[in-house]
Amino acid sequence: MKKERRIRLLIKLTFVFIIFAFIAFYSSAVFLTNEADEFINISLEERFGKTERKIYHHILRGDSLEKVSHFGVIKPLADLPDTNNYPVFSDTTIYDEDLDLERVYKKKTTIIEAGGKYYEITILRSIDDFMRLREDIFGSLIPAFILLAVSFVVFSYLLSGYYFRPFNKILELMKTYKVGQGAEVKSVNTSTLEFNKMQDLFHEMIYRIENDYKRLKEYTEHMAHEIQTPLAIIRNKTENLISDNSVMDKHSETVKIIYEETNHLSKLGTTLNLLTKIENNEFNNAVNVFTKPVIEKHISAVSEIVQLKSLSIETELNEKHFLFIDPILLDIIIKNLLNNALNYAANNEPVKIKTGKDEMIFSNSGEVLPLPEEKIFERFQRNGNSRNSLGLGLALVKKICDLNNLRISYQYLNSIHFFIVKDS
Amino acid sequence: MKLLVVEDNIQLLEDMREFLTEGGFRVEMSSSLKEAKDKVFLYQYDLLIVDIGLPDGSGLELIKEVKQKKYDCGILILTAKDAVEDKVAGLNLGADDYMTKPFHKAELNARIKSILRRNKFNGSDILELFDFKINVPASEVFVNDEKIILTKKEYDLLLYFVHNPNRVITKESIAEYLWGDHADQADNFDFIYNHIKNLRKKITSAGGKNYIHAMYGMGYKFSLEEN
Repeated sequence: MKKERRIRLLIKLTFVFIIFAFIAFYSSAVFLTNEADEFINISLEERFGKTERKIYHHILRGDSLEKVSHFGVIKPLADLPDTNNYPVFSDTTIYDEDLDLERVYKKKTTIIEAGGKYYEITILRSIDDFMRLREDIFGSLIPAFILLAVSFVVFSYLLSGYYFRPFNKILELMKTYKVGQGAEVKSVNTSTLEFNKMQDLFHEMIYRIENDYKRLKEYTEHMAHEIQTPLAIIRNKTENLISDNSVMDKHSETVKIIYEETNHLSKLGTTLNLLTKIENNEFNNAVNVFTKPVIEKHISAVSEIVQLKSLSIETELNEKHFLFIDPILLDIIIKNLLNNALNYAANNEPVKIKTGKDEMIFSNSGEVLPLPEEKIFERFQRNGNSRNSLGLGLALVKKICDLNNLRISYQYLNSIHFFIVKDS
Repeated sequence: MKLLVVEDNIQLLEDMREFLTEGGFRVEMSSSLKEAKDKVFLYQYDLLIVDIGLPDGSGLELIKEVKQKKYDCGILILTAKDAVEDKVAGLNLGADDYMTKPFHKAELNARIKSILRRNKFNGSDILELFDFKINVPASEVFVNDEKIILTKKEYDLLLYFVHNPNRVITKESIAEYLWGDHADQADNFDFIYNHIKNLRKKITSAGGKNYIHAMYGMGYKFSLEEN
């Protein structure tokens, strides 16, 4: 999948806003300049018209041309030139000595007829003021636009933290939400409609999830619990059959299988029940427990089995290592990790248990796993078809670790399996 | 010996009655807390077997009442396997022992007998069966009056057999009895065979017979004759 660039919403909005503002400013600048040009033309036309009429009247009155020369250059014409070529407009700059600057003039050359004679008159008009007006339009719009854009960027940068705080808080709640913690999730106060909508939706979703989860869990709980009594009865009845020679002589194999499978099912039910209880957080008397005595207790419980299996256990236990956990749960963790190590340990190779300052490691040598490493903590992933393994031990350990802020990891190095429990 | 079994599942109750009657006990049954309270009030029992989860209340209430009124009877509680808190509460109230459901009947038998023995003989009891004499408080075993030295596991195993003579005891049941929570570790039951082999050897070398008979590859029977 192509990775798109991710841009923050407010930055995006600011960017779009600036583009729009630019277009608005630019078009109004163009509009205003056009208006100004039109205004300049109209007022120039008016002034030129007035001057032409004054000259006309002076000539009619018979005043000498010198007397009206301050209006412009007036040349009498012998013939009527081609009037199609007139009037002629042009811009020109003239150096003004008094002000020591170049001034811009508009020049109009036209033909007038007065007293039966034709005159070519050329008149000038300074348009400095007009030009300045025109420049002022750009001169004021550009800084205004820049000021607006800069302040917008700065504000959006500064305010994005403030206005998005509720949003980030809601995200944080979503991130930390875990199924099964109950529908009570803190709400974040916000006056922003969108964030409120999102939050409401989030709460509704949690409510639905929690409901479904509760129902599913109840179902599992009931199932696991309710099968226990029928199983106990089946087992007892089977034990009756085992004591009956006339049955056993004919059907010993069948009875044996029924008995074994019933036992298996019964253990499964019990363990699943335990798993649900752990999930329900019913073991919540967490205290700081030193691991050394607990590990030693479990080692002594299995010492006979270890000996009969020709295995050995080597320990390197730190007296100060402890975990913050309910002691019952610690028992389950250690028992299962130990059983797992003993189950899969290669003969004549020691099972090692080591506790350091902040970690507890169970290791045993053995063949490489026949299943993907990441599946090792999943339920019912057992190595081979061992009848004695329920396939729940490591899942149980993982569940307990997850619920008690512990991290369990698995590694396979130099033909040795490592299970490492750490504070997370 | 008179027992009262308080259990709400009729099938299980009937099954336990049948089994315990066979073992020579007089068994009364009750499937509710109220009925059980009435019976305890009216009659004298040597032992109460109480399920904690009853339809009309907790079996713990019955234990509380029995202890308050100082009735002279042993109490064995039955709990679901994972209900640790029930177990602890029951023992704190003064119950003698607990068993988790589902249980093996042979183990039930062994536990009942050991509670009764503790309560009735006050520590001076000698168990006698076949050629065996077992001084339970001292954990000493005599075969034809000759003392044999057993390991802890062998002794436990022998006691389990002595409590359940002439019955097939399954390997699973033995494993759970001997290793408890670590029974899963005793896979393929070679360990049990090992202990049984050693126990047999010690008994026969003291002049005893082979009383432990393998049955159909499923378990063992402790009896004088093989069938």
